[in-house]
Amino acid sequence: MSDVLRFDAVTYVYPEGARPAIEDVDLAIAEGSFALAVGPTGSGKSTLLRASNGLVPQFTGGTFTGRVSVDGRDTLAHAPRRLADVVAFVPQDPGASFVLDRVEDELAYGMENLGVDPVHMRRRVEETLDLLDLPGLRDRSVRTLSGGERQRVAIAAALAAGPRILVLDEPTSQLDPQGAEDVMAALQRLVHDHGMTVLLAEHRLERVAGWVDVAIGFDHGRVRSGTPADVIGHLGSGPPVTRLGQMLGWDPLPLTVRAARAAAAGGPRPALPPRDPARNGHRHGVVAEVRGLRASYAETTVLRGLDLDVHEGEVLAVMGRNGAGKSTLLRVLAGIHEPSAGQVQILGAKPRPGVDVGLCPQEADELLFSDSVEHEVRATLVARGEAGGAGPWLAALGIAGLAARHPRDLSAGQRLLVATAAVAATDAPLLALDEPTRGLDPASKERLIGFVRAHALGGRAAVVATHDVELAAAVATRVVILAGGEVIADGDPGAVLGDSRVFAPQMTRVFGPGWLTPDQVVEALT
Amino acid sequence: MDRRPVHPMAWIVWATSAGFVAFVTTDPVYLLLLWAVSWFVYAGHRVDAEHARSFRLFLTGAMVAVALRTALVFFGTVSAANTTFSFLEGLRLGTILVIFGTFNAVTDPFGLVRMAPRHFHEPALAAALALSIAPRTVAGVGRVRDAQRMRGIRIHGARALPALAVPVLERGMEEAHTLAESMDARGHGAGRRSRYRPQPWTGAAILIAVPAIAAAATFLAASVGGWAVLHPQTSPIVWPEADPLLLAGIGLLAVPGVVGRPER
Repeated sequence: MSDVLRFDAVTYVYPEGARPAIEDVDLAIAEGSFALAVGPTGSGKSTLLRASNGLVPQFTGGTFTGRVSVDGRDTLAHAPRRLADVVAFVPQDPGASFVLDRVEDELAYGMENLGVDPVHMRRRVEETLDLLDLPGLRDRSVRTLSGGERQRVAIAAALAAGPRILVLDEPTSQLDPQGAEDVMAALQRLVHDHGMTVLLAEHRLERVAGWVDVAIGFDHGRVRSGTPADVIGHLGSGPPVTRLGQMLGWDPLPLTVRAARAAAAGGPRPALPPRDPARNGHRHGVVAEVRGLRASYAETTVLRGLDLDVHEGEVLAVMGRNGAGKSTLLRVLAGIHEPSAGQVQILGAKPRPGVDVGLCPQEADELLFSDSVEHEVRATLVARGEAGGAGPWLAALGIAGLAARHPRDLSAGQRLLVATAAVAATDAPLLALDEPTRGLDPASKERLIGFVRAHALGGRAAVVATHDVELAAAVATRVVILAGGEVIADGDPGAVLGDSRVFAPQMTRVFGPGWLTPDQVVEALT
Repeated sequence: MDRRPVHPMAWIVWATSAGFVAFVTTDPVYLLLLWAVSWFVYAGHRVDAEHARSFRLFLTGAMVAVALRTALVFFGTVSAANTTFSFLEGLRLGTILVIFGTFNAVTDPFGLVRMAPRHFHEPALAAALALSIAPRTVAGVGRVRDAQRMRGIRIHGARALPALAVPVLERGMEEAHTLAESMDARGHGAGRRSRYRPQPWTGAAILIAVPAIAAAATFLAASVGGWAVLHPQTSPIVWPEADPLLLAGIGLLAVPGVVGRPER
């Protein structure tokens, strides 16, 4: 097979960058590969992805040396639009990439630009709608779609143009577990049945590691490619099954639940599902009380009659499919969105945003305005008349090293941590985080988990709305699942996640209900 | 049934006709009726909250324009006649703004780009980007204000302005940049364009465009023929007239309020 995408000695420095974002990259991706770019946040993955169709450096400027060739065409000699017939790109924030208003027109846009004839175009739009299960959204305005729907429409719009290479930046970060699996299955079908080449970057390795056949490991701008087991095994931060295999010395390292089951079958089995004292502790005072809550946007009712208590010391994970009302629940708890009926109380009174509840929104960039990370956190402290420094908050989230940097120059994952620190600095009794692991690498995720747990101690509580089942498994002391605007499951994470086909974490899938994290399993076995 | 939106050209015809009517008269009866007609049409076609906010922005802008134009009189001799004259001039300007607000709220600017002939593609694109700025900014202001409140920063007073303006502008710039990148990456301007499902002139589109042209023609005839008063006398002030034929003309501009409405 020929290499459809080649990087030869590519080094690139952003216009105001001090260090190269990617350095001396040699990479060859064969036609028909399903390739995954992995590595810490800010290590150059997005840069490499954007270099694969010439957006870097043609749209960004900066210093570029070396050569990238796409199907034999040099990206310096061809503008991105001259490569559109070969390579399609889906950016991290798919909403910002939409050009037209209707979903169906958006799908046709790329083909219109390429001059595909109308009859052929019509058929391909229909096929693509089916492939990503979108026929119901055909007439919708792209602005009214939920995050997950936007992601699928963006992928469909890229696919419809019929490229040979599809490049996607974190395509599952906004999707619920089922949606993510559907997208991965659709991508695999394209690779297997149609010989398409797919290159994607993703942090949630448990969602993708089992699907891909090539992995590209990033470390401070340098890359190394190989088999997924080889590259992910060397990262030290793979999906839970891989981490378990590393701790137990399994060889070969498992990347999937299936492989982990096979490896575990030979060895001793952990005795009883563990009892985590933090998770099963006595319930203390109530921090947040929700009674008969109904909430709606314009003419759509999102929450219908919801009752919920959040207790001291609790970390409550709110889960549910895209559009289930998780974000709305958080906004109501924070006192930002007025409920249409029912009652919400924080510590016995109406919630005061930023005082009783600090909420970090999904689009965390919306609150960054300062010229340095330190000033960003100070802004919150100043607003509540607090004289202290930003240091402790930054240290707690492991971003003290970024204190002097401008938030705009950071990676998406790093900016999310800055926004989280800025919200946490409200020191409110209830900390609410909306999808806090988008773009976060596993190491940053570990620190976030430690931080949220520490917050909940000492008479406070945290609510985390997330699609990330491994996050819920690691951080939550209690899980609720929303569907159709109501609570359909509520309880101990082991029970709620263990009882679910969709939301079960990897350890549950390998060892059965009750097992949530690799650490628990290792502890029980040794 | 075709559930696609009305042909954008119908809206261009409607807005141009309504704008022409507002342009040729300073009669407050006609102008205030045009405000009502614009609101009625907007209310029948708005699709989401973002559009509603953007329309409200134009409405506010129109009222400010009326107030400012009227206030100009204080820089010269203040008299009842002068004030009335300035007020009517301002009202005309405000009316045009409200009509434009309705047009902006009911059409998809990028849908217009696709219709533009190939040679006008680039200017049409620039115009579409400009048209999309108002609704984007309005939506951004709401979201950023919420985001800052959620960490205890309240936006009021000049000191808090950076907390609102910086994220709105930066996000706006970033979105525009991503959009430009995305369009290029998807082959925009590579030549060889083709058209997907050209939008048909539906009955609704004709029912929007034809009466609008008739309305504009009525006012044109009145303006040229002089058989009705379009600019009421302000010195001395007289009660404005309301010609039944011209009232009917404005009524024709309200037809879109009841046809081609999107499904909710």
